[in-house]
Amino acid sequence: MNRKLLMFLFIMLLLAGCYDRIELEQQSYVVAMGIDKTDRKGVYAFTYQIANPEVGSAAGQGGADEAPAEIVTVDGADILSATHTANSFVTKKITLDHTKVIVVSEELARDEDFIRVIQSASRSPQIRRGVQLVVSREDASDFINNNKPLMEQRPHKYYQFMLDRATQTGIIPEATLHRFFQITEGDADLFLAIYATTEQSDQTENKKTEDQYIAGEIPQIGGSPTQFMGSAVFKEGQMIDTFTGEETRFAQILDNTLEMETLFATIPDPLMPEYQIAYNYSQKEDPSINIQYHKEKPTTIDVQIPYQAEILAVPSLIKYSQNKEYQKVLRETLTKRLNEKTAELVRKSQEEYRSDPFYWSLYVRKYFKDVKDYEEADWHKKIYPNAKITVNYKMEKLEFGKMINDSNLDEVRD
Amino acid sequence: MRLLSGQRKKNSSPSDKNISSSLSSNIQEMKQLFSYKLNKDFSMRTLNLKFNHKEACLFYYSSIVDGARINLNIIKPLLENDGDSVSNVVSIENIEEVSDFETANENINSGKVILFIEGDKMAYAMDVADFQHRAVSKSENETTIKGPLDAFTESMNTNISLIRKQLHNSQLINEGIQIGERSKNEVNLIYLKDLVNDDILENLRSRLKDIKTDSVRNVEMLEQYLEERPYSLLPTILYTEKPDKATSYIEEGFIVLLMDSSSACLIVPVTFWSFFHYPEDRYLRFFYGNFTRAIRLLSFYLTLMISATFVAIANFHSEMIPPDLLLAITASRERIPFPLIFEVLIMEIAFELIREAGLRIPNPLGPTIGIVGALILGQAAVEANIISPIIVIVVALSGLSSFALADLNINFTIRIMRFLFILAAGTFGMLALTGASLLFFMYTASIKSFGIPFFSPMSPHFISSEDTVFRKALKKELFRPEYLRPKDIRKKAKS
Amino acid sequence: MQNNGFLQTKEILAITLIVIGSKLADSTPALLAQKAQNGFWLIPVIAFVCIFPSFLIMLYLLNRYQHKNMIELIETITGKWIGKIIGLLLFLFTFLTLTLNSRNYVEQIKLLYFPESPTEIIYLIFFGIVFFGAKRGFEVIGYTSWVALPIIKLSAALVIILIMGNIVIQRVFPIFGSGLPIMLSEGVKSTAIFAELFFLLIAYQSAKKTQMFTKGVIIASIIAILEIVLFYFVYITVFDYNSIGKIAFPFHDIIQYIQFGEFFTNIETIFMIFWLFAAYIKFIIFIYITAWIFGEIFAIRNFEPLLLPFSFLVIMIGLLPINSISNELVLHDSLITIMSPFLIILPVLLWIIALVKGDLKR
Repeated sequence: MNRKLLMFLFIMLLLAGCYDRIELEQQSYVVAMGIDKTDRKGVYAFTYQIANPEVGSAAGQGGADEAPAEIVTVDGADILSATHTANSFVTKKITLDHTKVIVVSEELARDEDFIRVIQSASRSPQIRRGVQLVVSREDASDFINNNKPLMEQRPHKYYQFMLDRATQTGIIPEATLHRFFQITEGDADLFLAIYATTEQSDQTENKKTEDQYIAGEIPQIGGSPTQFMGSAVFKEGQMIDTFTGEETRFAQILDNTLEMETLFATIPDPLMPEYQIAYNYSQKEDPSINIQYHKEKPTTIDVQIPYQAEILAVPSLIKYSQNKEYQKVLRETLTKRLNEKTAELVRKSQEEYRSDPFYWSLYVRKYFKDVKDYEEADWHKKIYPNAKITVNYKMEKLEFGKMINDSNLDEVRD
Repeated sequence: MRLLSGQRKKNSSPSDKNISSSLSSNIQEMKQLFSYKLNKDFSMRTLNLKFNHKEACLFYYSSIVDGARINLNIIKPLLENDGDSVSNVVSIENIEEVSDFETANENINSGKVILFIEGDKMAYAMDVADFQHRAVSKSENETTIKGPLDAFTESMNTNISLIRKQLHNSQLINEGIQIGERSKNEVNLIYLKDLVNDDILENLRSRLKDIKTDSVRNVEMLEQYLEERPYSLLPTILYTEKPDKATSYIEEGFIVLLMDSSSACLIVPVTFWSFFHYPEDRYLRFFYGNFTRAIRLLSFYLTLMISATFVAIANFHSEMIPPDLLLAITASRERIPFPLIFEVLIMEIAFELIREAGLRIPNPLGPTIGIVGALILGQAAVEANIISPIIVIVVALSGLSSFALADLNINFTIRIMRFLFILAAGTFGMLALTGASLLFFMYTASIKSFGIPFFSPMSPHFISSEDTVFRKALKKELFRPEYLRPKDIRKKAKS
Repeated sequence: MQNNGFLQTKEILAITLIVIGSKLADSTPALLAQKAQNGFWLIPVIAFVCIFPSFLIMLYLLNRYQHKNMIELIETITGKWIGKIIGLLLFLFTFLTLTLNSRNYVEQIKLLYFPESPTEIIYLIFFGIVFFGAKRGFEVIGYTSWVALPIIKLSAALVIILIMGNIVIQRVFPIFGSGLPIMLSEGVKSTAIFAELFFLLIAYQSAKKTQMFTKGVIIASIIAILEIVLFYFVYITVFDYNSIGKIAFPFHDIIQYIQFGEFFTNIETIFMIFWLFAAYIKFIIFIYITAWIFGEIFAIRNFEPLLLPFSFLVIMIGLLPINSISNELVLHDSLITIMSPFLIILPVLLWIIALVKGDLKR
């Protein structure tokens, strides 16, 4: 009898409890979140892009003229309290579980308080560590409002596809919150965030080659105004500079913890410099990073990068594929150019930033017995800026694609 | 209580009498016992025996004996042939001598003819039974594609012959035990004498003898008299209508119970795997059979959990649903007037309704139920915004997979548990659902059927052919299940 | 306690592995990382090295005094009254470990998955289920553990596989974390993270043969230590030394981070299910053992009715208004520090007494 009573009470308890139960349609799903500075210190403007479930779904009947997303902006001290405030004019409970990106305005990113506001994101289980950090040139709220993709109407699809593709080509880095916290808290290296904008910059120069832009500079006709290109450089949780797409790519080549699938680039044709040669850079194995730590004299860092290249287009129509001599010239030019570009980036980081965006502090750690020694040695201030760094590219293979030869111009014109 | 049993004793006292040597008093006794004249099919025939020139009388139920055989093999020889004793005169294969009315009574009820002879203190019971029963037909409820198709029918002899046909072994015992107070019905235990464990057999016998009830008509009722926990959701006795399934269990050292009036048998003891397995798994080749098992395992999960999981995820863990699906479900739910759990329950109950109604509906109306069910519940409910389309998918999946659980008993268990799980999931999401399923599992693990833990031989471990979720190749199955403590554990002779 | 001899090596192994192995998914790593920083993943090894000889001595003693469980053994060796006091102390340790751990688990469930439900309700449901589970008896617990073990471990392996891409091996360096001396002293102090091994000895007579129990426990503890070290290694290589100390529940942070392809991005609930299974079984075992130890001390043969009052007691104490951080970092930490020397020394002491008394010369 007692047992039955107990069982009954227990079942009643089960039936009574429904504190966290919430129906799907009672929630609003935030896809992107923006953070901006306001006039007051410690108060930020939070922008939420909320997906409209009825757009783009076969089941929704009345949503033809509804917008694919609702965008609201609200002031608050941190993410969670702002989310609660936003409920004063958003009808449903705001859920951050499906947030894909956090957009931060460049102005806020350059502020030293940035770390305080982003810190609160890690406290909530709703914001995942996989969320990407995007820095926008304009205000984050403007960025989100102006971002009107033409094909992918549903915003979460847009961010998912856009970021995946751009990360694969290496023009933007992978910038998860997880990585941001690891690097910032590790207090040694530079963190690269995605740089994007919806506004065309005035300095649009057509002279540059394909990846020497940062977002906003790419001359573009048609399509969505949003450009993802380059990266924002963070030192100790504060943005200090931007990288172009090219620099971002080199930083990713040198960083073993980041993966980049393919890289399409061009170089001036060594034999006919007015034409460009397009090639596909690929890496079959990680670069080897050798650090020799010396307590008294400068540390030496030696980086060997084996790579492969596939020639994609030779507008000059020079027959590289069959001429050994030409090939040698091409090989040397490629490697030299890579070496130069990288050396320039390394020099810039040593002199201007006095820290590295390559996460190389990892490789010096093994010289220290414990954390105290390591922190005293100080990668930021002492080791890296004074280190002797040599970067060597080594071409393993040169391929010429599926065409053996280009058409002979003279014969064509004949 | 005592009064009652005293009365019963008094009632049955006339039949305790012994047969006297006076034919007329015997006839008088029989007439009274069987309410002659009132009882239309109780027949009596007096005749003069040729071989010793005495008066004699035959009693039988005309409805359960073969009239032609009585005529040809009993009456005719008795009237015409010479000989020194009854058994040498009549040409019937089975003659028993009976000395009291109690036995005579039983014999007549089981389709025998009783012959009383003037001056003889013995009566003769001759077997001419011809109970009406179906012919052996195809198994209707447990269908197979590959494997024997015949099913048990409502005749003990036929059923035993179906078993003996597959198992040519002199150790195959068919032991009869009478149960029931008013109607004496016989339960037959079929087992292999050189394999079966005597403790289990003795346990079963004593349980059968302990059944104190007026009558146990068939194995379906016997099952409920025999089980230890009538209020448990889990079955502890296996019920099957397939002789090949029964035989395969006999070979392992299990005991099969048959009754004359059922077209199925009971198998004891059981484990969880008995309900999970199906003879076809073993007839199919190794990979095909195990593939079927995998599908069945999946359907176990789907029937039991899919609706509950959906409720738990949608109501408590919506972050888990991929965004596209999430938005699609949300969009379809925006106009639904019920909470999600309510929707699921409505559809689950509707499905059960279709199922029950479909079972009971007269055959000519059969096709209608499909149309009505699919049309009204699927299409119209969605269009009327009462149910969202995803719920239809979920419930249809759970309903469909419930048909893959062939055993009727376990099917009910799972279908009932499904509702408990949905309720648990609706109250505290995965926390309650995980807890409920763990408790259900632990309860199942604690069940014992005739002293054998339900999840043997997986846990606790026993030597066996390791045929649990998946089976091994047939040639690799070397042992009988140790949990039955069989007299011979190895399947093949040691070579 | 019914003993039909159904429990064998497998089941004992599963029970031990679930009780000890669950250390990898609660806040023990956060506790250890507070002081040792990225050296913390080696602390379990040090702790294990410290406790394992004592544990083996205990098993040896149990083997020499046949047909006794741990409490009976202690009472036989030290005499009835001292034995009872030691037993009571042991019971107190078990009970406190149970209570503090349970609070920790309930907090995890609440913070991560049911933020709006009151702790009391979650506690009630959790221990309601634990109570009914424990009611089924030790053998059923054994079967359940064995059947659940592969699924639980498979899901843990899946976590490792999915997080593989985010592991940066170099993060384990500097290898000694905050320094070798700190690590060693922390290791010795944290010996009691394996205290459950001792508590489980109460079930010494539960298996078919005592050798099976010994074998199961030893194999399980070795697998468990490997597993724990592997997971702690993953934590440190994923989170780095500065972050690991800040994360209260690294396992949950990892399962929130991983994704299964592009489309299944938030899959933590799947792993949470298996984690919950492990948690339920762990506490079912734990509360059963606690009641058992209590029953042995006061010679209560049929101790299963004690499960209900114990469950209520755990809930009541667990609900004392202490915040979860101080529960874990202060109370649990001090409990471990107090238990550690006790557990290292007790078996040695028992062995010496037994040797002096001459019980071992046979």
